[in-house]
Amino acid sequence: MGLNKVAVVASAQTQLRPAWNGAQHIDLISSVVASVFKGSGLTLDDVDFIIDSGSDVLDGRSISNCGFLGALGAHHKEEARVEEDGLWAALYGVNKIRSGASAIGLIVAYSKPSESNIDAYWSSQCEPFYQRPVGFGQRAATGIQAQRYLAANAVSDRDLADLVARRWAAGADKGDVLIDTLPDVDAILGSGEAAAPLTRLMLSRPVDGAVAILIATEDVARRSGGNPVFITGMGASIDTHSFADRSADGLSSAQKAAHMAYGKAGWSDAKADIAEISASSAVGELLVIEGLGLAEKGKGLAAASDGRVAINQSGGALPADPIMATGLIRLAEATKQLSQPALYGGGSPTRAIVHGAGGVGMQNNCVFTLEV
Amino acid sequence: MSRHVGIVGVGQTHHSRRRTDVSQAGLVREAVNRALADAKLTMEDIDTVVVASGPVLFAAVNHPEKWVVDAIGAQGKSVVRVTSGGGAGFAGALSGYYQVAGGYSDRTLVVAYDKLSEGQLQYSISTLYDPFWGREFAVGIMGFSAAYWRARMDMLGHTEEAAAMVAAKNRKNAIANPYAHIKKEVTVDEVLASKPLCWPIKLLDVPPISDGAAAVVLAAEHVAAKSTDRPAWIQGIAYCCEADNAPERSLMLSEPLAIASRQVYRAAGITNPRRQFDVVEVQEPYSCFELNYYESLGLCPPGQAAELIASGATQLDGDIPVNPSGGCMGANPIGAVGLIRLIEAATQVMGRNETHQIKDAKLALVQSGGGWANLRGCAVLSA
Repeated sequence: MGLNKVAVVASAQTQLRPAWNGAQHIDLISSVVASVFKGSGLTLDDVDFIIDSGSDVLDGRSISNCGFLGALGAHHKEEARVEEDGLWAALYGVNKIRSGASAIGLIVAYSKPSESNIDAYWSSQCEPFYQRPVGFGQRAATGIQAQRYLAANAVSDRDLADLVARRWAAGADKGDVLIDTLPDVDAILGSGEAAAPLTRLMLSRPVDGAVAILIATEDVARRSGGNPVFITGMGASIDTHSFADRSADGLSSAQKAAHMAYGKAGWSDAKADIAEISASSAVGELLVIEGLGLAEKGKGLAAASDGRVAINQSGGALPADPIMATGLIRLAEATKQLSQPALYGGGSPTRAIVHGAGGVGMQNNCVFTLEV
Repeated sequence: MSRHVGIVGVGQTHHSRRRTDVSQAGLVREAVNRALADAKLTMEDIDTVVVASGPVLFAAVNHPEKWVVDAIGAQGKSVVRVTSGGGAGFAGALSGYYQVAGGYSDRTLVVAYDKLSEGQLQYSISTLYDPFWGREFAVGIMGFSAAYWRARMDMLGHTEEAAAMVAAKNRKNAIANPYAHIKKEVTVDEVLASKPLCWPIKLLDVPPISDGAAAVVLAAEHVAAKSTDRPAWIQGIAYCCEADNAPERSLMLSEPLAIASRQVYRAAGITNPRRQFDVVEVQEPYSCFELNYYESLGLCPPGQAAELIASGATQLDGDIPVNPSGGCMGANPIGAVGLIRLIEAATQVMGRNETHQIKDAKLALVQSGGGWANLRGCAVLSA
């Protein structure tokens, strides 16, 4: 078909903090938009379009993108708001460049959950007739997923705590996540029941932050220095809204999204060196690992840490979940790991899988494949 | 380069002030069923879905696409929601267009809706403004729009009568629209004499508040023939913005619309819009906006919209009919309106418009927009 190849040229992100006090949304957004061009040889004038992800509900503002257009650098350009995790905004942008209509796009996602009631953000996503009256929400969905998983597989709550501890350590080390004190296994187990059997620290921690990614045609990418990382496959799939109707032993929509992305990339299986995945809980991470085909059902825990595929070297979403920006940060992290492997202990990785999620109990899933 | 993308099926609900017989999800299903039937397809033939609606505060369900997906049988598919205030439906079509043009899908269903009877509309819109610098004096979108109009009256010498002509024209056209719910002819004098809501905006300059949904099936060229031998081809489509609501902003020409139309006209080979287009559909949340669009879209020189409407050229029997469907004056389910305008223009070039088919229409122009009049786009459709 002669469609354009699309590469990630550059990325920028703020530190991910439990609360960015003293900084408004526009401050976080403009800081990443201003710094994403560094070293790329490009400026805002070169950008054809801007696609952003954010939530009116988290922002407490209708059509909140309208108020952030200046900070986004969107003045007099084409702008679109995708009200889903930023990985879907990137999906939109990639299509726009692949079509040949544009050459350079800026993708931005941000979040300030510290200013919001997170439980209300989730429960307001539940349909109003059957789910809301019984108090269904993210904690209930996440807890039920965990109960089913632990009942069916030889995984203990201590195993989960161990995974969480390693993810937090990675987040502090490589993920630019602000962490006062690294929690150890006992601290995680003792952090209080949040979604039985999960404790508070076994759920992803909402944080404030913003991320910007510059994507471009191959031609532009090769002229802008650095090693271009190509987006070779994209897939997305949404599960039924009815939680009771979803499969009990896996995330079928993650599986379908992965199947679609691998197919577009021409991959026969999930053979990658790197994976950056989003998950709303420790068990959620195992479900995604299995859904992406990185482990068989029930065997996600071993794959999470055996290093055959380097999963979530950034720490992933457990220590830092800037809701709406989490998946786009995974794209930025995976790109960095592919283009600058020396920062991650060397090697010569060539393929990565990136995952983003949205909705209660990760109803919606998006997968990218990256190659250098 | 770009794959050719056509509209191969359309559907909309019979819009009304209050649909108490269906939920949001049920409303969406009606439009989707009609679009699929029109395209001679089932949901199984659809690769990806785009859902568009206005701000979620309008109807108090956050991420509503995640609920709607079950009602339309799109579980398992790639589904994403795009929103852009009043222009949401158009912005949804734009993103669907790129899913097909970029090779991500062969057929994409775009559905847009709002169920405005379920929320506090002007309250919700007031939260558009900055919480520190704008909200204290914001009164929905009407105060802002009145200032917009007043500036044009002061600078250009336009009168209230010019906008009243737009209201009378569109309200008359809507009478024959089977999907409209406001069907009453009014005279220019009646518009002028109607109750001032936020002067110079008067009651009859304002469209109704509606519940409604609309859907289109977009298809790549190689699969379009399964649905129709006469798709409406998208020859160009863009949606641009103007940052922030600064005092130095010009309220005369819409800069983002002028930019979008330049891009779209270049793509579609339009050099003389007034002569080349057979029909135009615009989203006029208040009558005064249609006048601004005439100028921003190049249908007349800047400052001469009042003369254009007075000349009768944009009437049904004029040389460039604008809103033969009746526009927003017949029905205004905000988040769906951009897609409804696209549908009304598409069926014109497909030769099967249900309200007022313009004879031999081959080339149509569509405009849509939202925000505080700072998000504006347009598209060119051809037979």
